[in-house]
Amino acid sequence: MKSYYDIVGDGGSNVMEQVEAQQQGLARNLSEVRNVLAIGSGKGGVGKSTMTMQLAGALGELGHTVSILDADLNGPCQARLGGLRNQILVPGDNGAKVPTTRNGIGVVSMGSLIPEASPLEFESVAPGSSHTWRATKEFTILRELLAGMDWGKLDYLLVDLPPGVERIVQYAELLGPAARFVLVTIPSDMAKGVVARSIEALRQTPNHILGYIENMDGYFCQDCQRVKPLYPANSSIKLDLPQLGSVPFDPELAAHCDRGGSLADTPTLPSWHLVQRTAQEICERVAALTLAEETR
Amino acid sequence: MKFLCVSCDEAMKLMNVAPPERGSLSVVYRCPNCDHEIAMLTNPFETQIVGSLGVNIGAESAQADGESRCPFSSMVQDLGADANEASSELSWSSEASSRLENMPEFARPLARAGIEKFAREQGLMHVDVRVLDQARNSLGM
Repeated sequence: MKSYYDIVGDGGSNVMEQVEAQQQGLARNLSEVRNVLAIGSGKGGVGKSTMTMQLAGALGELGHTVSILDADLNGPCQARLGGLRNQILVPGDNGAKVPTTRNGIGVVSMGSLIPEASPLEFESVAPGSSHTWRATKEFTILRELLAGMDWGKLDYLLVDLPPGVERIVQYAELLGPAARFVLVTIPSDMAKGVVARSIEALRQTPNHILGYIENMDGYFCQDCQRVKPLYPANSSIKLDLPQLGSVPFDPELAAHCDRGGSLADTPTLPSWHLVQRTAQEICERVAALTLAEETR
Repeated sequence: MKFLCVSCDEAMKLMNVAPPERGSLSVVYRCPNCDHEIAMLTNPFETQIVGSLGVNIGAESAQADGESRCPFSSMVQDLGADANEASSELSWSSEASSRLENMPEFARPLARAGIEKFAREQGLMHVDVRVLDQARNSLGM
């Protein structure tokens, strides 16, 4: 008797071919994106989204073309950070036009499409069982967003990932082996422990991890104009990765982000220089890695 | 998933997909050798899982997975249009429609509703590429 693998196709629907075509469409649409950088952590609340938007601004200042995909469909922040809530999607020749911030950063975020207080809900023929299909649906939507937006020529597409160690591998598989990862942590052992797990999980994939950024590394005191500690100085967990930069918590920066303003408008903020330095470090590492891959 | 006619040792071919009923799909397969037919009847969980892959079941089935592809139906209704049907009062040129087809499938109804709202605000009853360009420019894209 024939087995599954003796039969070509599935008799009519060609589901496997449809899924493969989706993946090819994604690769085709990203063909003019030179670098995909996934900004993740595994831990929630460490400032991934804020860091993503600030890095995008800094990369833009360095002369790069940059867009952001907010992969956190359920807690999207990039629309607010970019001042791009309540957008209309406009169809173009090669997909939907990507809304851009005042400083030219493209942002695709569910937060532009659905009101901030509304949870993302899907119609379903199987009510009460969303735990069985929701993750699949969300990855399908992300793939459609990647394949259906007109990203144009980009130097960097930053992908702001949601928390979850187990999901970071799923995003690596979705984005493909060329996507590079930047992990964000804060100086606490609790956060670093989770990030260490993410590192080990990502090392099972072919994706390269550029390094990590230590966010909230102290806080910037407006009164004394210096950085004071937020966490104990000596962490017992050392991450086995290059440190790309460290940025203190800056209340002024936080307020600025809530208003959706561009940090490029306030270049005097001390934390901004540290973000710029981190962006420069990322560029240098990406360039070195690209050169090494091309000469291999 | 594949179906095999055991007596003929032949792969069965998909013949038709009935419209979904209460979340269940009826998919009929026939053996090309002996014409024996069977029907695969999915439960709503199976229908939903396959639909979540963003694929169609059956070569001719555009919406056979039994669910709306638009997660924003209620929002689209707020914008004054139905999520799954074209607005009856505004017409779209073929070029504008084909641009819409290039968009992520789940986002098309929302885009259509947003563009039609923009067009109505401009006092227009026909959407062509010029209206799309106007909308894009008004949003600073």
